[in-house]
Amino acid sequence: MSHTEHDAPILRTSPRRMAKMLIIIIGIQVVGGVLFFSHYDFWNSYLPIAGRPVVHNEPGNGPGPVTGKTVNVSLKFVESPDFKTYAFNALSGSDQNPEIHANVGDKIVFDVTNAGKSFHAFAVTDSKEGPGPAIEGTTIGSADNPMKPGAKGTATFVPAKAGEYYYICAVPGHRELGMEGKIEVSEASSAGAASGATVAPTGNKVEFSLSFVMSADFKDYAFNALAGQTGHNPDIKVKSGDTVTIHIKNSSKSFHSFGVVTDPEDPNSVVWNSAFKSADNPMKPGESGDVTFVAGAPGSYHYICTVPGHADLGMNGNFIVE
Amino acid sequence: MVLELQKPRPVWQIMFSTHHTDVGYLYTVTSLAFLFMAGVLAMIIRTHLFFPGEGVLISDSVTSNRIFTVHGSTMLFLFALPFAAGIGNYLVPIMVRYKDMAYPKLNAVAFWMVPVGGALVWLGFSDTTWVAYAPYSIIRAPGPAADMWIFGMKILGISSILSSINFIVTILKCKHPDLPLRRVPLFAWSMLTVSLMTVVAMPTFAAALVMMLTDRLGVSGFFNPAMGGDPIAYLHLFWFTFHPEVYIFLLPAIGMMYEIIPRFSRKPLFSQGSGVFAFVMLGLIGFASWGHHMFSTGMDFTTKTVFMIGTLAAVPASGMHVFNFLATMWGARIRFDAPMKFMVGGIALFFSAGAGGVLNTAMPLDFITHGTYWVVGHMHLFLTGTIAFGFVGMMYYIFPLFTGRMYSEKWASVQFILMMWGTVQVFFTQHILGLEGMARRIYDYPTDFTSWTQLNQIATVGAWILGASFVIFLAQLIYYSAKGKEANMVDPFNLGGKYYYPYQAKTPHHTGY
Repeated sequence: MSHTEHDAPILRTSPRRMAKMLIIIIGIQVVGGVLFFSHYDFWNSYLPIAGRPVVHNEPGNGPGPVTGKTVNVSLKFVESPDFKTYAFNALSGSDQNPEIHANVGDKIVFDVTNAGKSFHAFAVTDSKEGPGPAIEGTTIGSADNPMKPGAKGTATFVPAKAGEYYYICAVPGHRELGMEGKIEVSEASSAGAASGATVAPTGNKVEFSLSFVMSADFKDYAFNALAGQTGHNPDIKVKSGDTVTIHIKNSSKSFHSFGVVTDPEDPNSVVWNSAFKSADNPMKPGESGDVTFVAGAPGSYHYICTVPGHADLGMNGNFIVE
Repeated sequence: MVLELQKPRPVWQIMFSTHHTDVGYLYTVTSLAFLFMAGVLAMIIRTHLFFPGEGVLISDSVTSNRIFTVHGSTMLFLFALPFAAGIGNYLVPIMVRYKDMAYPKLNAVAFWMVPVGGALVWLGFSDTTWVAYAPYSIIRAPGPAADMWIFGMKILGISSILSSINFIVTILKCKHPDLPLRRVPLFAWSMLTVSLMTVVAMPTFAAALVMMLTDRLGVSGFFNPAMGGDPIAYLHLFWFTFHPEVYIFLLPAIGMMYEIIPRFSRKPLFSQGSGVFAFVMLGLIGFASWGHHMFSTGMDFTTKTVFMIGTLAAVPASGMHVFNFLATMWGARIRFDAPMKFMVGGIALFFSAGAGGVLNTAMPLDFITHGTYWVVGHMHLFLTGTIAFGFVGMMYYIFPLFTGRMYSEKWASVQFILMMWGTVQVFFTQHILGLEGMARRIYDYPTDFTSWTQLNQIATVGAWILGASFVIFLAQLIYYSAKGKEANMVDPFNLGGKYYYPYQAKTPHHTGY
């Protein structure tokens, strides 16, 4: 077999074939590029399983008693004009880095805004110094990918253990400049019961009166007096174990029902048999009645109208057990 | 683009062909595509380092890590390995006088794993660095990118084992009975050596990848200190594969020099025997030096000494190659066409990179240079200065066979000058930066270090020059493939009738004996 037939020039490429090849290669790159950039955050989105914090050994978010109570905290990153002092909410005074009190199992919801001019990142940590490590699920942004000026975000922290925690800016150095606030988490009661638990009555009796009121346009709902008037949604303070009697009157033109709850957004979280009537079988206008119950574990609760939606419209007062 | 056919075939016929020239063509084109993609990443990194503290082009450190990870992984596994396999596919069957590779379908399968692995690496854009050291890669590197990198590497590793088996069988079993193994041309010898090395070395890395994956899943703890594992064990497994892999990248380039230098010197090779001997020596010694990547991990003195001597043992074998080239060129009527220019430039830079390597393995100096830009400079001087020079020269050499057309000698010379200049400027400077203490894989550096800023800017300008040379290369490849002058297929480089072009070479005339 001879190769002499190849001595004539063989043009294996031509502009047309080169163009085809370029279309194939560039086409693949474009499709790949669209796939890559359209999922840019996905490709680097989770930690390997081996690197995730072991939740039940850690103090942070995770399985533990859940009280259903929510503590809302709103925080702002602020900086002094010379960038020497950093803080949350205010550079000085009582608003600066507000201390947060909560019970084990409470849901602390942080609503965070970067009101500064530089980059920040929010985290909750149990470490007394340094930028972390953050408790899983409590971060907004990170040092690598921080919150830009004006950015907002929310984070949730459900402490599983009592102790001192800190909310900080996770950008290295910022905590040392002052972006650090304390979160005091205490056990729900001395017996260690979660908030909302019942306790034995002490025999001490207290009485309160509440009436449901509404504005004429049915837009404002409240207890005793409308928002802005004296006597509006009065705080009720009792001691744990007190036998509480509440005289309830429906002074409005709509149907209501009463209950003391752990979470004002959840009318089903009524504790200690404190409900009077219910959303299915409410108090009619003008009706009145009494409810008596024993205040349980210390903590911060709410008395609300348990008809869905009414608590949001204003029928929501603080019920504090000490 | 297959040799037997005169008429162009449809593109899909080439894409799904199993003929060795078609597969070789696909390998080469794919690897060049990845070369230019990874080159863009290199330009981004260097341009970013030109402006310290300003975050130009790269705005955060994770992105920076991702970019140099994919740059490294691509240049090594998607450019260097497939390019050598591509040229090997073209030339090895011709050199051993067989009709095709031993297993044509396996050959095509091995090729088609490359784009799949490449897609996984590029889509994930992992940030593990190309070495993926534990524990970072185990407990911190975010998924799915890192997992995709692991699977991509796995696929590329299998691909390179399959193509290695193919080369070994083709060369040992399918060569013409009249052709004794010692007279097989040295490029085929280099492919035989690296194929045997791949088959021995690669399974270790394959095992390490599986261990890394199960470690990431929390199932095992081979390298996870929290579970009693040892991150140093990963380094041993990794470098047991990848120090030999350094020679697997290098030897095909040396083999290409053996193919081109005697032809353009128009003189028989000085010594076939010493070339074969040096290949086999490097193939063995490659396995005796992996520990020098770990001198600073608390290795005991005796082990370090063994690895230091093992590393230095590569010097005589490399020297044999260099002297073989020099003796071949001695007194020859050399034609300095583009392929020859790149080969001679490659030898010069091979020598300087090798000299840096000898300093590196000296234990006391290793502690100074470890983890600094010195290492970056050293490794790139090898990879660009020797391997890429060999590959680019080979690309010019084989261009007429690929396309039936000629490239432009003038533009090839411009590319050579820029590439030589850029390589020296960027990688020599990086050696000095390393001695000044700049850590490798750095994202940003303080502007107060004036000498760092200056040296980085010098290096970046060098990188731009190097980048410009590759832009010229790409433009030439595209333009002259389409519109180049018709090549004289008997003797495209006008070297004289005695030296046949590879597609006709029944018995290569440049071998010794």
